[in-house]
Amino acid sequence: MANQPLWNQLVFYFTHNGMYLLEQFGRHFLISFYGVLLAAIVGIPLGIYMANHFHLGDFIISIANVIQTVPSLAMLSIIMLWLGLGVNTVIVTIFLYSLLPILKNTYTGMKNVDPNTIDSAKGMGMTPFQMLYMVKLPLAMSVIMSGIRTAMVVAIGNTAIGAFVGAGGLGDLIIRGTNATDGAPLILAGALPTAIMAIVTDLVIGLLQKHFEPTGYYKTEE
Amino acid sequence: MKKIKKIFTLISIALLLFVSGCGWPGLGSTSKDTIKVASLSTTESMILAEIIMQLISHETDHNTEIVNNLGSGQLVHQALMNGDADIASANFTGNELITTLNHAPIKDEQKANRVVTKLYKKRFDQTWMPTYGFADTYNMLVTRETAKKYNLHKISDMKNIASRINIGADNIWINRPDDGYEPFAQTYDFKFKRVYPMQIGLVYSAVAAGKMSAVLGYSTDGRIKSYNLKILPDDKNFFPPYDTSMVVNNSLLRKYPELKPLLHRLDGKISVSTMQDMNYQVDNNLREPADVAKEFLNKHNYFRGDK
Repeated sequence: MANQPLWNQLVFYFTHNGMYLLEQFGRHFLISFYGVLLAAIVGIPLGIYMANHFHLGDFIISIANVIQTVPSLAMLSIIMLWLGLGVNTVIVTIFLYSLLPILKNTYTGMKNVDPNTIDSAKGMGMTPFQMLYMVKLPLAMSVIMSGIRTAMVVAIGNTAIGAFVGAGGLGDLIIRGTNATDGAPLILAGALPTAIMAIVTDLVIGLLQKHFEPTGYYKTEE
Repeated sequence: MKKIKKIFTLISIALLLFVSGCGWPGLGSTSKDTIKVASLSTTESMILAEIIMQLISHETDHNTEIVNNLGSGQLVHQALMNGDADIASANFTGNELITTLNHAPIKDEQKANRVVTKLYKKRFDQTWMPTYGFADTYNMLVTRETAKKYNLHKISDMKNIASRINIGADNIWINRPDDGYEPFAQTYDFKFKRVYPMQIGLVYSAVAAGKMSAVLGYSTDGRIKSYNLKILPDDKNFFPPYDTSMVVNNSLLRKYPELKPLLHRLDGKISVSTMQDMNYQVDNNLREPADVAKEFLNKHNYFRGDK
């Protein structure tokens, strides 16, 4: 096998280990997804709260900024000291990295809602909660989505590093490839699906984002 | 509005799942009952881990998971001690004796096994299982042609030609005080013309391509088979025994007593040539360790016949 062209080796690998690859693909996606989901659960409400308390907003965002500057391998190692080996460590790492884009976008999205719209909502006698989920959230949804989109793409990349702490996923293949004597097909078999996953996820969330864009809102503003 | 309500319900369901601690759906690893097997980043270790996992999940109801790609034996040991894993797939007597146990090297295979078993039980409350049946040790490798040309059958036979040939060896090995090149030269009473320090992964192709007359490689590497190399037996028992065994946390065996006879099924079942062949399947034929492990277990019907 080793003396055949790389492309043939890769095709051979895909045809013989398809199920395994699919399993790792799913695992990789789920790890990224859970990390971002957690970040969304924490980040969106926090972002909404911050938009109403401006002084707090800058403070929290600067903390999230600091978290973002830690290199991912270092972050993984630090969290490993606390959570040990395994998938939890990776999910928490992804969570921390996803927090900033989601927080920032929620904050920006909520703040950029036209004050006139809010005024008219108030004029109609809406309660604050009604205003939040009938006016502000729908208008900010597309910006929030773009934050989740960034977070998700970064997360898929970072999950690949998670293989270092034994979490599995496609990074597993990449590491194995770097250890083997002739590991080029293994590296590609891990790296290509990772790239494809990131691109497809980006496209899908992009569509979702378009879907949430309030119709006519920006046009009437002009 | 319904959309947003839906999203809220989804989020709260996810939150509930997380809080209730039933683990991550689809990842199946965080639940407490999963048996985790730690593996080094070597092919051999991964195949063995897969064999253990598939044996357990096929014969019992337990879930298993691999903690893969751990860089060193030390890391695997830490993982077992911290409870991040319960079973270590590949441990080598000679290696663990020196590194993990900080013990002086023991040349006698039986004695080394006894000492390691005893100390692991005493110090770490872990069971050092009987060996799988193969030892991973340094082997002097030559091509069939070289062996024929110089009439080589064992390492001692190299004495007459040693001063004329170059050999390649693992760069860690050369300077090892207890079993490195210096003591080797003393034991066998000859020195080579030159010993080239090399990456261990490169020595097999170097000797096959004729760049080196002989090399020192690992006995279970699949490439010994693919290049059809000849192993020269270590007739003076110089290289310490690196019998391969699995190590199991006793806490796991107390929790699930049925695992003990199950894991003992693997005792002495994997010969050097079987291991070489499985390594070869993965390294050379691009098959997944899981796939190779499954084939091995199926072939032997999960060793149901014994115990």
